[in-house]
Amino acid sequence: MEKKPLIRAINISKTFGATKALSDISFDFFSSEIFSMVGANGAGKSTFIKILCGYYPDYEGSIYINDELVHFKSPRDAYEAGIQVVHQSIEQGIVQNMSVAENLALEYIVSPDADFIYSGEEIEKKAVEIAKKMDIDYLDMKKNIQDISQSEKQMITIARALDKKPKLLILDEPTSSISDKEAEVLFKTLYKLKEEGVSILYISHYLHEVKKISDKVGVIRDGKYGGLLHKPLEVSTIVQAMVGDIEASIPSSYSYDNKDKKLILELKNLVVEGGSYPLNMKLYEGEITGLIGLIGAGKTELAETLFGIRKVISGEILINGKSINLKNIHQAIKHGIHMVPENRAVNAILPEESIKDNITLPFLNHFSKKSILQKKQEIDAANKMIENMGIKCENYMADIGSLSGGNQQKVVVARWLLMEHNLVILDEPFQGVDIKSRKDINTYLRNTTKKSSVLLISSDIDELMDVTDKILVMNKGKILSSEKTSHIDRDKLLSLITQD
Amino acid sequence: MEKFVAFAIKYGFLIVMAGSFLGFGLLENAFWSWPNMFSILLSITIVGVLAIGVTFTLIVDGFDLSIGSTAAICVMISSYVMVVLNLNYMVAIMFALLSGFLIGLANGLLIVKAKIPDLLATLGMMFLIQGLQLIPSAGMSIGTGMMLADGSEAEGEFAEAFLYLGQGRAFDLIPIPVIVFTILAIIAYFILQYTKWGRILYAIGGNEKAVKLAGVNVEKYKIAAYVISGTVASIGGILLAARIGRGDVTSGGGLLLDAVAAALIGFAVLGVKKPNALGTVVGVIFIGMLLNGLTMLSLPYYTQDFIKGIVLVAALIFTFGLSKSEI
Repeated sequence: MEKKPLIRAINISKTFGATKALSDISFDFFSSEIFSMVGANGAGKSTFIKILCGYYPDYEGSIYINDELVHFKSPRDAYEAGIQVVHQSIEQGIVQNMSVAENLALEYIVSPDADFIYSGEEIEKKAVEIAKKMDIDYLDMKKNIQDISQSEKQMITIARALDKKPKLLILDEPTSSISDKEAEVLFKTLYKLKEEGVSILYISHYLHEVKKISDKVGVIRDGKYGGLLHKPLEVSTIVQAMVGDIEASIPSSYSYDNKDKKLILELKNLVVEGGSYPLNMKLYEGEITGLIGLIGAGKTELAETLFGIRKVISGEILINGKSINLKNIHQAIKHGIHMVPENRAVNAILPEESIKDNITLPFLNHFSKKSILQKKQEIDAANKMIENMGIKCENYMADIGSLSGGNQQKVVVARWLLMEHNLVILDEPFQGVDIKSRKDINTYLRNTTKKSSVLLISSDIDELMDVTDKILVMNKGKILSSEKTSHIDRDKLLSLITQD
Repeated sequence: MEKFVAFAIKYGFLIVMAGSFLGFGLLENAFWSWPNMFSILLSITIVGVLAIGVTFTLIVDGFDLSIGSTAAICVMISSYVMVVLNLNYMVAIMFALLSGFLIGLANGLLIVKAKIPDLLATLGMMFLIQGLQLIPSAGMSIGTGMMLADGSEAEGEFAEAFLYLGQGRAFDLIPIPVIVFTILAIIAYFILQYTKWGRILYAIGGNEKAVKLAGVNVEKYKIAAYVISGTVASIGGILLAARIGRGDVTSGGGLLLDAVAAALIGFAVLGVKKPNALGTVVGVIFIGMLLNGLTMLSLPYYTQDFIKGIVLVAALIFTFGLSKSEI
């Protein structure tokens, strides 16, 4: 039976200034369907959704609802047309300090229909009505919202969205802050909604989830249409569609003969989280090791432990053959372990300071005598890094905020390559970084780390295959394989990353 | 147009300041006399000292509402030590400084360890100190020869050397408090501009998480900022006690808001948009000069707060309103 699409998005394009964020994206959404949208960070998923919900009124292309052309000028328009969104951050949809009932009946409370005099009874009646839609009327309506679980809060925001009888319900990363068990509850509700005819647009990074619940998967890659996948879905095909086909990578000149090489880092039965598997690993000098795995595979936990952010539960970390005890980041740096954290805007950048100040931040002791900064030395060091890494800027005094994303990332990488080190960890260093800057960073990494080890954490297979000598695969807290990059079979790697 | 706005943001404040300096002098020649210059400086020293302290907490993206009451309790403590306990003035100074240090430490611990938001923690501390300062003297001001609770007369008195700190003049011209203020301002400027501590304090204000991930003990620096604020406020309290020569229970009023206003006006100086020592000093001098000049032109005293408010709002527009908003 040929069903007619409920909502059609045809050739949607969007430009921000000089950059084209989306070009010619077309997807159809049917009722009684769970449609998942996937794409790497910065691929354009959220731009697409924002257009659908009326946040960006100026786009190219057309949107039809039931064959009728619509153009949303504001989120309100989209909402009136039956498109409801539950945003990623649960806290955005919840009013703290209010009761469960008040949160459920929020729309009613702020609507002009509500009685001028606040009636607790009326609100509770309304709230129970709304709660029934998600079968959460078992909740104590008088409870403060802070005393219920994250998933229950999530359910409240969804129930509220459903109260308006939406045609399309958009869920943006709904499981990012709830537990697996809570997610199960959410999925059951989604199935139920699907039965009732609602069209669901589901956005998630967790590909196992996507595989499990979706009827279709739409892929956006670098702002372009990346394909539409139908059942039966496989995580590996989804990943393939997300990251694209590989170009032949340049064979690394790296010699895998470890005989004469110094062992820099060794992990012996290192447990990074209560109940997780002991990890063993050896990193040699001059070696770039990639670490790959899906979100939640345990990569971040390992990196945080090596950098002294997390406590070692058991096992040993050895640097140059000596067991070390890391209590904090300061000690990790003292042992020559440096880390470029993921998400530079949140974790690395001092937005109002100069490039120079951003580069030298961790090593101010080195650049000061009796606590007085030696600006000449600092400037020389910053200029050297700017030149070597090809950071495009006016000069070392330019605000880091004035640089492009790729150049900002170069500054953050420069910060940690500035001084001698034993191991440098880079956590997702290519997020929101253009190809040219990636190449610059990779080249510089290769050239400056002949005497140290690099651990490169990324979910981008192609990038890792391009730059690393060895790739470790992590899956659910275990290191599943460790292989020389030149010997790696991409499909095998994919299946290791994604196997259940 | 864009260039003009950029110029206005950078130099606008200083131009207004120079303009009013000229204007007042032309209208009232006495304004330009040396004694009047120092009288302006003397009038702002105590607020200025406090403003330098609060600048440090503003830099780490914090706030210290307790500086006014810290200064006030230090007035009471130094008076009590000298007058009631009849101890040496050096002991009085030590006690006052120690109190300021401890109050700052308590603020820092409440904010960093107990994770109370800065405004609330220091608001609580402000109330606590305001109440505490009344207790030893049973709510009365402390003066030489005052009657004690047991009916006897207090034996101690304000030492001459102590009073000299507030009332003396070097070379019969420069008031001692002005010298103290200048020294503090230079030290603060030096620390913030030329040492790694200053760099790190600013970095914490910009992105605390990034500084933590650079291996810096952020908690230590934040606590230090509040300790500096408290200790500097106690210096303000000592100068105030020395100036008025008695432990006046009402002496702290108004100090807090004036100091904070000066530090905020400082954001606009040279368009740095950040708390900074030079800006704070310029801000506090500007307010002092404006009030002095307007008073000479027989502006009634009750309009003073209104004038300060206008200056503050204008400076904030310079700082925040005129800057390009980034999306």
